[in-house]
Amino acid sequence: MTSIRLRLLKWLIGPILLINLAGASLTYMLAWIPAQLAFDQGLADAVGALASRLHVGSGAASIDLPAEAEAMLRANDIDALYFVVRGSGARVLAGDRDFPVQARNEPGAYESTMLGEPVRVLFRTSRAGDEKVQIGVAKTMRKRLQVRSAIVRALVLLETVFTLALVGLIWFSVTTGLLPLAHMRSNLKNREMGDLAPIDTESVPVELTPVVAAFNELLDKVQAGATAQRDFLADVAHQLRTPLAGFKLQLEWLGARHAGDPESVHSLSLMLLSNERMIRQINQLLALARAEPSHFEKTRLEMLDLARLVEPVVQYFVEEAGKKHIDIGFDLQPVMLAGDSFLLRDLIDNVIDNAVRYTPEHGTVTVRCRPDGAGAVLEIEDSGPGIAPHQRELVFQRFARLDDKSSGTGLGLAIVRDIALAHGATVSIADGPGRAGMTLAVRFGRV
Amino acid sequence: MARMHVLLVEDDAVLADGLSRILQSHAMMVEVVGNGTQADQVLQRSEVAVVVLDIGLPGIDGFEVVRRLRARASGVPVLLLTARDAIEDRVRGLELGADDYLVKPFATAELVARIKALVRRNAPKPDALSLGRLTLDTCTRRAHIEGRTIELSVREWAVLEYLLQHGGRVLSKQQIIDAILPWGDELTLNAVEVYVSRLRLKIADAGVTIRTIRGFGYMLEQQ
Repeated sequence: MTSIRLRLLKWLIGPILLINLAGASLTYMLAWIPAQLAFDQGLADAVGALASRLHVGSGAASIDLPAEAEAMLRANDIDALYFVVRGSGARVLAGDRDFPVQARNEPGAYESTMLGEPVRVLFRTSRAGDEKVQIGVAKTMRKRLQVRSAIVRALVLLETVFTLALVGLIWFSVTTGLLPLAHMRSNLKNREMGDLAPIDTESVPVELTPVVAAFNELLDKVQAGATAQRDFLADVAHQLRTPLAGFKLQLEWLGARHAGDPESVHSLSLMLLSNERMIRQINQLLALARAEPSHFEKTRLEMLDLARLVEPVVQYFVEEAGKKHIDIGFDLQPVMLAGDSFLLRDLIDNVIDNAVRYTPEHGTVTVRCRPDGAGAVLEIEDSGPGIAPHQRELVFQRFARLDDKSSGTGLGLAIVRDIALAHGATVSIADGPGRAGMTLAVRFGRV
Repeated sequence: MARMHVLLVEDDAVLADGLSRILQSHAMMVEVVGNGTQADQVLQRSEVAVVVLDIGLPGIDGFEVVRRLRARASGVPVLLLTARDAIEDRVRGLELGADDYLVKPFATAELVARIKALVRRNAPKPDALSLGRLTLDTCTRRAHIEGRTIELSVREWAVLEYLLQHGGRVLSKQQIIDAILPWGDELTLNAVEVYVSRLRLKIADAGVTIRTIRGFGYMLEQQ
């Protein structure tokens, strides 16, 4: 996998390090060569000073070098100065007799070693009368080395600081430059499931626009595919409703006709049961298709009284609960909320159905709605088996069923969650009062 | 009581057959047609008590049948049936003048109850209501259990009559108050509870029960 950041950093930081290195070498040279020249000039001066004191006395070259002058020549707090003035025949006129270095055939100063220490040596040939006189001056390189290491230290420090600052700046710029990508990523990541709305091209940099446009095209295709799939599902479900209704009525009629024959009654009641399961499953698939968050239209929102929405399903659930001898009760306080009445009916239908379905015979189910702060809450309390805390998130997933015994479609609470999400409501499951059963609460926000 | 004449407009033969059998078993006279044009013709020539009308019909659809019916200023109650549960359909149907709406597949009891409610809304009040051994004579406003007269206060009578009109239906206390107090008198929910508990004592041996729907209301059932 390639990383734009790493590639940018590699191509920016690598060359900059090389350029910095070259710059540092150049700076070193620029600082060091004049220093070297200045040192060598010092040697040349010393040679000049010695040469000026040469004279011809009694036919041979001699040098007039009093002790004070020599002391002055040698005076240096750091470096030691050695010199020698040799006449012809290696006759030493002045200086250090043990000056070991012989003149080389070099015009300028050169480096050598003296008394185990590196020295810079300058030889010059002068004339006193007819005699050829060699003047050699050598100076230890202590000060030079000090200067050089000072230059190197300063350079290393300076270059390190510059390099770090540059790397930091590059890092910062690359990161800042890539920020729109990170922003886009987090936006995409935070999307609700099924949210296929196109990315806003206004908010992305020009460089990303073609990418975003292509991505939006893809989203469009996916959206179209999802819509087609949902429409197909809804179509199939609708097509199945009429035959199922006919099937159901025929079974009921047959059941009434053969009420006296226990075998027929048994068989017919089983057929009716599976007919009802098919009907329920189809209605649930339709409800799920409707509850798709991307399907949610804010324009359908209207002010609704939650209690009024529950009332129409009371008859149905009283009958359903009656079949299992469940004591179903209601506590419906008027409370307004903004919602899609159609979807909210699906939600109400599914939360109560869930409670009645999973509550054993002779249990209790209580449906409540009431104001809750600035919002509204719908609570369904049952005396069923409840749901263990670690499974409470699981039940909101599609086709999640905690056991195989019950006849649920596995879609009910997924529908509830989808519709709640679309309404900005939260669904939570808590232990029932007295730790028996559970309480499912749907909390709607401020109106 | 004369058999109620129901026009059933449904193109699915199996459903139409099942529906007509079920409705006939509830003492209704059912005429079945399979398309909108025929339905329109039947409605032009004969007087029916109620129309059970599928929306998705071949030829002219259910909406158009309702529109033409209401255009002729006919007040025949219409119950729409549909396989689609889009809210637009529901709203459109009711706006065109349909009286009620059921989504397929429906509970049979629900369909029968709604048909009866529609007819009742349109028809003059019947002279007598009865369930189990209980009979209410709506002319003399007297209640009888197998010929024995039960003494009821005006309000108790009103509550019992309303419950009996909607036997097997869950009625909220507020619905009961609204039904028995058409002139905006004040009545608390507690008062309804008092009337119901008195009624329970008085009709204890009538073979019917007023079941309490906890926190909501009541339902009159045959025992």
